[in-house]
Amino acid sequence: MKISRKISILLIAIILLLIFTSACSSNTSTSSQNNQSKESDFIKIGHLVALTGDASMWGQSEKNALEMEVEKINKSGGINGKQIKIIAYDTRADAVEAVNAAKRLVEQDKVIAIIGPAQSGVSNAISSVTEQAKIPFIATTATNPLVTVPKEGQVRKYAFRVCFIDPFQGRVAAQFAYTKLNAKKAAILYDVGSDYSSWLAKYFEDSFKEIGGDIVAKEAFRSGELDYRAMLGKIKQANPEVIFIPTAQKEAALAAKQARDLGIKATFLGGDNWGSPDLVTLGGSAVEGAYFVNLTAIEDPDIQGFIKEYKEKFNQDPVLPNPVMAIDALYMLIDAIKRAGSLDGMALAEAMEKTKDLKVLTGNLTIDPATHNPLNKPAIIQQVKDGKFIYVEKYVTH
Amino acid sequence: MLLQTLITGLSIGGVYALMAVGYSLVFSILNFSNFAHGTIIMLGAYIGYFLVSHIKLGFYFSFLGAILGAALLALINVKLAYDPLIKRKAPPLYLMITAMGVSIFLENMVYVTVGSHFYSYPEIFKKSSINILGSEIGVLDFFALIFSFVAIYLLHLYLTKTKIGTAIRAASYDMTAASLYGVNMSKLIGIVFLLAGCFAGLAGVFMGMKYMVYPTMGWITNKAYIAAVIGGLGSLPGAVIGGVILGVLETFVSVYISSVIRDVFSFTLVIVFLIIMPAGLLGKYLEEKV
Repeated sequence: MKISRKISILLIAIILLLIFTSACSSNTSTSSQNNQSKESDFIKIGHLVALTGDASMWGQSEKNALEMEVEKINKSGGINGKQIKIIAYDTRADAVEAVNAAKRLVEQDKVIAIIGPAQSGVSNAISSVTEQAKIPFIATTATNPLVTVPKEGQVRKYAFRVCFIDPFQGRVAAQFAYTKLNAKKAAILYDVGSDYSSWLAKYFEDSFKEIGGDIVAKEAFRSGELDYRAMLGKIKQANPEVIFIPTAQKEAALAAKQARDLGIKATFLGGDNWGSPDLVTLGGSAVEGAYFVNLTAIEDPDIQGFIKEYKEKFNQDPVLPNPVMAIDALYMLIDAIKRAGSLDGMALAEAMEKTKDLKVLTGNLTIDPATHNPLNKPAIIQQVKDGKFIYVEKYVTH
Repeated sequence: MLLQTLITGLSIGGVYALMAVGYSLVFSILNFSNFAHGTIIMLGAYIGYFLVSHIKLGFYFSFLGAILGAALLALINVKLAYDPLIKRKAPPLYLMITAMGVSIFLENMVYVTVGSHFYSYPEIFKKSSINILGSEIGVLDFFALIFSFVAIYLLHLYLTKTKIGTAIRAASYDMTAASLYGVNMSKLIGIVFLLAGCFAGLAGVFMGMKYMVYPTMGWITNKAYIAAVIGGLGSLPGAVIGGVILGVLETFVSVYISSVIRDVFSFTLVIVFLIIMPAGLLGKYLEEKV
């Protein structure tokens, strides 16, 4: 008796739930139909961005900046008489989430192109969706070469990026160390468990040797390592003038601390993954004077107008580099729309391939048709001084 | 280079020893691996960090606070999670599984309440190092090494010179016989966990100062486990010796062979020990006690 009563209650609950959900879904479908009739006047652009999770600090700022820029463009009449509408989905910097969101953007929202994602791994993952749907995406800060040119060597037709790539970054670091820091002997400490770290280490090594420098020590550790003193002891013996540490900020901060404990006086040098305030909070005085390559910096003279606007609107500094890179991507897309004269994905991708000397926030953008990477993209060198990041110079390799 | 490697190894080994002592202390009485020990170390590191950088209690009081806090947490742990099992005379395996559960629970509690952020202790010792015959040792490492050995020596005195210490040692040989001689087992287990907690707090603060503070930092107790196996599970001098040997060996492997295979080497070592010398260097062959 008792059991049958429980079952009937359960059944009623299920029926109620079904009625409720079907009511809800019919609601949404009608409302979306209403919207669709209005939305034909819009140019719909997807935005894949990490709004929660570890990378949300950058992602939220990126979303703000993009909305601010689109608002400005729409106020001044839009593109070809149409208003731009950004549809942003949270990726949590997670590949699975991003693939689902990308599917939604191309299948349901019918966007013409996607701005983002920011991470190399996530960008690689969504390319399967975009290639099939023939919808181009423009990665913002994904520096791994494989994002646009996978291992097979054939460029992905619908994958683009506005940031430099790791071979370039390694070359910038090597040339900066050799010519500006006057270092002839360099050591490398890298994470063997991370693709980013081990490839960047290799690119640095190749470039540094090529211009006549000497790599006196190359030591590796495994991801999650806490104690680097054994490797640093070996590096100390080799007596390098700079130590290149192409890792995330927390490993770099710890390694720098332990290197100073061992009495190592060399200058530290890093890549764009250092660009987080954690480097200074974790590294303290040990990272003072360290240099790193970045995509952009708040003091970059070229982006002062944007920084001012952002500050006025949101009452805080943007968290760089993502907002700036996303706006560069938006400019690149708008330029392609204007030149293609169509909103078709294939036409847009073809136009994007031919982007040449386009004025964007970070300088002039030219896309290499063979790789879909920007050509001659300048890099920013930053230094840690008095616990803050300062702009040193804009650097273009020779 | 040789001396530098040795010094680096010793200072790493000192912390391993501190962790292994707390571990062995529990093992010697209850004959089970307390996997929650690493989590208590992590919590000790957090307590110390919040006292020193948020409440600004000053370093020495924060240090004391971390030790007492970790000891209290270890006591709560035993009272809530292990005591009910011990009272029902559950086999050690059940205690071990409970310890794993406690460890996962506490780690996730930290994720939910404090977050996954990395924290760093303020720089208490300015970046300076002591030069010994041309090799550098950081002041913090030097201090940690000395302090570890002093703490371990004090524990040794406590265990050999006091009545409770004698009771603990007696119970570690035979719990039933000790209780027949009038030792209050429940109280004794509480004291053992309090002591282990003190060592966890101590190790936590050193770990936090040397490296940083984050929710999964307790994983490093794997190394304490290896150290305890090498030295002999349940033997306190064994834990110290095992810790130091492991620290020095790992550093030598990193320097002279490859830093990448260091952990492969450590875990191979523990397998070899378990096969050839299951009782470790100083351990005794144990039978089920609980």
